[in-house]
Amino acid sequence: MVDEEEIIRVAKLMKIDLEDHGEHVSRVKKMLEYFDILDQIDLSSEEITSQQKSLNELRKDEFIPYDKKLIESLKNFREHYVRAPKMN
Amino acid sequence: MNLNTSILKYIEDVKSGKFTVEEFTAATLQRIKDVDEDVHAYLSLNDSAINDAKKIDQKMSSGEKIGQCYGFPISIKDNICITGTKTTCASKMLENFIAPYTSTVVNHLQNEDAVITGKTNLDEFAMGLTTEFSAYGPTKNPWNLDYVPGGSSGGSAASVAANECLASLGSDTGGSVRNPASFCSVVGVNRTYGLISRYGLISYANSIEQIGPMTKTVKDSAFLLNIIAGQDDNDDTTIDNSNVNYLDGIENGIEGKKIGIIKEMTTSDGLSSEVSAATKDAINDFESLGASCEEVTLPTIPYTVAAYYTITSTEAGSNLARYDNIRYGYEMDSEGYEYNSYISKSRTKFGPEVTRRIILGGFVPSAGHAGKYFLKALKVKSKLISEINSAFEKFDYLIAPTAPVQPFRFGEKIDDPVTLMLLDYNTVTANLTGKPAISVPYRISNGLPIGMQIMANSLQEKALFQAAYALETKTKLPEVPL
Repeated sequence: MVDEEEIIRVAKLMKIDLEDHGEHVSRVKKMLEYFDILDQIDLSSEEITSQQKSLNELRKDEFIPYDKKLIESLKNFREHYVRAPKMN
Repeated sequence: MNLNTSILKYIEDVKSGKFTVEEFTAATLQRIKDVDEDVHAYLSLNDSAINDAKKIDQKMSSGEKIGQCYGFPISIKDNICITGTKTTCASKMLENFIAPYTSTVVNHLQNEDAVITGKTNLDEFAMGLTTEFSAYGPTKNPWNLDYVPGGSSGGSAASVAANECLASLGSDTGGSVRNPASFCSVVGVNRTYGLISRYGLISYANSIEQIGPMTKTVKDSAFLLNIIAGQDDNDDTTIDNSNVNYLDGIENGIEGKKIGIIKEMTTSDGLSSEVSAATKDAINDFESLGASCEEVTLPTIPYTVAAYYTITSTEAGSNLARYDNIRYGYEMDSEGYEYNSYISKSRTKFGPEVTRRIILGGFVPSAGHAGKYFLKALKVKSKLISEINSAFEKFDYLIAPTAPVQPFRFGEKIDDPVTLMLLDYNTVTANLTGKPAISVPYRISNGLPIGMQIMANSLQEKALFQAAYALETKTKLPEVPL
């Protein structure tokens, strides 16, 4: 059984404001309860597979010039700096 | 002007001078004007479409080399970037986002002289199956405006079905190309993972999602894949397809091929009787085409939807962390806010489904929960890959209906998250395994479409198109009543 308090705590960590989104908790809970189906499958002999790529297959690590100033498309910037709210 | 034509027929007609690119583009734009108020397939239109068309006409008349597309009109899902145009992902969060670069797929299309008509509607950030989660209102199904068009690429599918373009590019994470293709009676392709560059596709679940063509005919999808597939320096997950021409041999047929009918997808509880009946007829059609059909069981399938939502939510939680309203976002004064509370407040602009997926995406991989959810989901993925690889040792194709049900009315399923998730039941297997799959329009039953899904082994798109084309020749579908 998933604890609603736990969902609220995770939402806060994900920077989701639950004061406005309280109704989502029950729906998230329903989805998590459906995921319990994963407890019914035997995965004891399974390994997690991943795709691998060697370094020489990657694109060259080189500077690609860009002709526009991307920062100018932001709403809040001053010179070369992005403006952000104060950190406490 | 007949707008209900294929890309290949259009190219033939433009070449023979039956009409100019400008004339066809103008007629298409007029059609959009006439029907899109009802259908709402588009979120924005390309203001320079007519000029683009004129330029291609001029190139033709001056004998310059023309790209393979000859100016056919194509719409693009609004999570794929084109320089200088709005790319909203159907979210209020990106309401005014102007893309600073063009995606590789659109570059390919523009280099080959396609005319972009505009950007199409989707569920916000491609999370959904009905377009009801678009922040700008849903797209309607051109076959019956009271019904959902499927999703998330619902705008793309509807734009093709309603003759508001000849083709579209969608993106498929768990069925987002094939499901709306099935619901709107168009062809939708989800190819081998890595075949098409994702550069310029706004990420939702990047280990799984792919861009895919949506067209009126199977041949058109093969044609479009020829143009957009291939390795890309800007996407390291792309793979070499050795410049295969997917149209070559497309009419070769499927005589002697072995087809596996996926038991779990054709006998599931959620399957409607109409879809079940259509599937039986499709199996008969495949047999009459000379293929042999046999049931195959993939026992992991009942766990795939949970695994899929676990993995994609995790990736969404990470990918969508960038929307903090500092780098991207909308006007919201930061005065008086502390850093974290500003970000949380600004993120209330996300719609309900995106909000929930972000919460889920934080929950399922977190310390204390990863073992129960995320790591298990990855193992389900591994198990499914082994199962499907063994199935493909025996079979050339695996088939099932694309969606377990036909299109339904707006509002009918939106309140139950589990019912909504299960609409993906037949499509997520291709995404989790990276195998190619295609949805072929098969039947119109009670005025609403049913599509059949064919899957093939990795990089067997050419064979996939052969089977899809063979099935298409067995169907005779009515024109859209719009």
